[in-house]
Amino acid sequence: MTTTPPPRPPLRSALRDAGIAAVVLLLILFTAFVRHRNGEHASRERRRAIEAAQAVARGDTPVHATSAIGVVRPALSSKDHPYLARRKVIDPGARAGRERALGGPDAPAADKLLYDAAARYDREGPFVAMLADGSGRAVAAVTTARGPAIAVTAPPGTPEGLPWLMLVGLVGLGAAIVSAGAVSGRGGIGVGVALAALAVPAWMWGGAMLAGATGLAAAGVGVAHARGATDRFAAAIAANRVALSFLAPAAIAMAVLVLVPFAVGLVIGFYDHHHGQWTFVGLDNFAKILSGDGRAFDDPLNFWFILGVTVLWTGANVLFHVVIGTTLALALRQPWLRLRGLFRVLLIVPWAIPNYITALIWKGMFQGEYGAVNSLLEGVGLDGVSWFSSWGTAFAANVATNTWLGFPFMMVVALGALESIPRDLYEAAEVDGASAWQRLTQITLPHLRPALAPAVILGSIWTFNMFNVIYLVSGGKPGGSTDILVTDAYRWAFERGERYGMAAALGTIIFLILLLWTVFGTRVTRKEEAA
Amino acid sequence: MSAPAHGRTRRPSAVAMIAVYAALAVATAAVLYPVLLVVKKAFEPGRQFALSASPVPEDVTLEHFDGLLGASFAQHALASIAVALATTVVGIFLACTAAYALSRFRFPGRRTALTTFLVVQMFPASLLILPLYVLLDQLHLLNSLTGLVLVYSTTAIPFCVWTLKGYFDSLPRELLEAARVDGAGPARIFFTIVLPLARPGIAVTALFSFMTAWNEFIMASTFLTDEGKYTLPVLLQSSVGQFSADWGRFAAGAIVTSVPVMALFYVLQKYLVGGLTAGAVKG
Repeated sequence: MTTTPPPRPPLRSALRDAGIAAVVLLLILFTAFVRHRNGEHASRERRRAIEAAQAVARGDTPVHATSAIGVVRPALSSKDHPYLARRKVIDPGARAGRERALGGPDAPAADKLLYDAAARYDREGPFVAMLADGSGRAVAAVTTARGPAIAVTAPPGTPEGLPWLMLVGLVGLGAAIVSAGAVSGRGGIGVGVALAALAVPAWMWGGAMLAGATGLAAAGVGVAHARGATDRFAAAIAANRVALSFLAPAAIAMAVLVLVPFAVGLVIGFYDHHHGQWTFVGLDNFAKILSGDGRAFDDPLNFWFILGVTVLWTGANVLFHVVIGTTLALALRQPWLRLRGLFRVLLIVPWAIPNYITALIWKGMFQGEYGAVNSLLEGVGLDGVSWFSSWGTAFAANVATNTWLGFPFMMVVALGALESIPRDLYEAAEVDGASAWQRLTQITLPHLRPALAPAVILGSIWTFNMFNVIYLVSGGKPGGSTDILVTDAYRWAFERGERYGMAAALGTIIFLILLLWTVFGTRVTRKEEAA
Repeated sequence: MSAPAHGRTRRPSAVAMIAVYAALAVATAAVLYPVLLVVKKAFEPGRQFALSASPVPEDVTLEHFDGLLGASFAQHALASIAVALATTVVGIFLACTAAYALSRFRFPGRRTALTTFLVVQMFPASLLILPLYVLLDQLHLLNSLTGLVLVYSTTAIPFCVWTLKGYFDSLPRELLEAARVDGAGPARIFFTIVLPLARPGIAVTALFSFMTAWNEFIMASTFLTDEGKYTLPVLLQSSVGQFSADWGRFAAGAIVTSVPVMALFYVLQKYLVGGLTAGAVKG
């Protein structure tokens, strides 16, 4: 929009800009406040838990209230139930040597906390941590001669509230500064200064970084206001408000459920996730993946091995799809063919079946003992094969499945392209005495290429991402060697101890590969069209 | 599709005819064989996949279908139907409004929005699973069908937006202009004129959304942890899990699950090819 906006009352426009920016900044500040408060709370509770545990170890009563304390004795397995480890606890204040069984029908509910903490102590040694139940309690275990002394703090009272008075004061002060600036003709400075006041709470709750960012944002909004950019933007929104309100629901849904997750995925790639703890590790995950993490190139967990398998997988499938699809399309295009419609309907059946069902069916067919494929082999006098115990046969089983379910798409695309080749070309060629082979290579195939090129790009992306077939047919067997990049990323996240960071970093790498491939693919397609 | 009218057809050589028919026959047999095996398994007693390679059952029984009725199949089918219908309704609402804005209005950012809808399709679903898992966890929407509906309706949006935009583009401009002159507001024009006229397009995108939600496996299997909430794909996969595979029940369930969507697919088929190769990339 290049039309000049109608002049607006400077005070209203300044208050609008400052107001919108303040609401956004206050939302961020509120998040910072909650994080800051929870952080302070957690460190206080941890300190209290340690103090209480040390008091229990000395035999004293803890200063602060607790929900469970005691010295827990090592686990003993009972004779009747060897897998059920039983423990005893020495309650504080009990006479020396006096122990009671931990847990049981009449035991206090807090015994479970002690039992879990003792089990964790056995694995990790002394520790202090927040309880994972969201109750805001901390638990600590310190070593004593008789076993770990454990203390769980009492549930905290209502958390500290937001300092509303200060915020109301800041907003009132800001409104006054904005008005003063607007009335004196320096609206930009007024808006900037008023917003910059929010850097003070930002400093208190989020540190220098957040304060600096707030200051920069304030300056940005002030400059934009002074230059009239915000007025033009508001005018553009007002002029297109019907269109934008129609677009808004989908735009918001896409932003929340696609773009935000995408951004979150990018960020997670720089973190390590272990036992629910997030640690910033910079580029470590990427380095680990790209260097193979000390694994040999033929190790199925080495990134380059998996990439090789993925490329081979994609190439083999797309090749089979194109060759089979085009051949069948050419056969279906013969003018004298009978039952053409029937053949066409039957041949696209694999496309119609949900692909997870196809994958499960083929998994069943490739089963060693009862699978149909082995029965067929035995029927013609060959030995049955244990399909998923060696790389070659497992890979072949995956490719067979995916070829079966994927060729109809190429066939339909090729059929459409064949239909658009003018018949006169063939007739002219026939008059000139061209052989059938010459007509195929000189007319048909050159005309198929431009239509097939985008379908090949699309098909290769689908195959590259074909999670269901790999996951359900071979399941990566043997030993993860038939996994492709997307199934490997999935396993990092959900099957190898929630290594979210590794999964997300691998996801970013996969995305970059796809992006490069698409850009390259569109280039080639365009050149083809231009030629 | 009937054979195209073709003037003086030369008699093909016998070799060519045999080759063409042989190729089509082999391909059709290869396509039908696994399907027939599943049908056979559904009607044959026993839990094992197949004891013989023949696609003809030796013994016919309805026990697997009866078993479906007895099991919690109906409950899972209901979950799947609810998810797919809700996805369709939400997805159609989002796609219709967005496509209308992109088709009938010119505003700054329109081209960007159109390209975004294309590019977004390139994000493979398997990569968004992890961040979506983390987000849904924060929102307490893991293990809930609502969370699944939200995720599904956005994955179908780009295709639906592009298809519907084509429909809206083809509506006569004069009609909408006349309505506006008569004093109808934008909402009224949209609901009483545009939507009724675009019914065929809406039907196509509705079927597509339904099919997408009905067929989705991996997100459902990752997000739903409570067995009672499983949608049909997760149920079917778990029925042939590692330890207790019951292929008879799987086959019966697979037939009941896929026949409706296969019917939908044949209705949709000609729109799918156009929509997908128009540049849309489904992951």
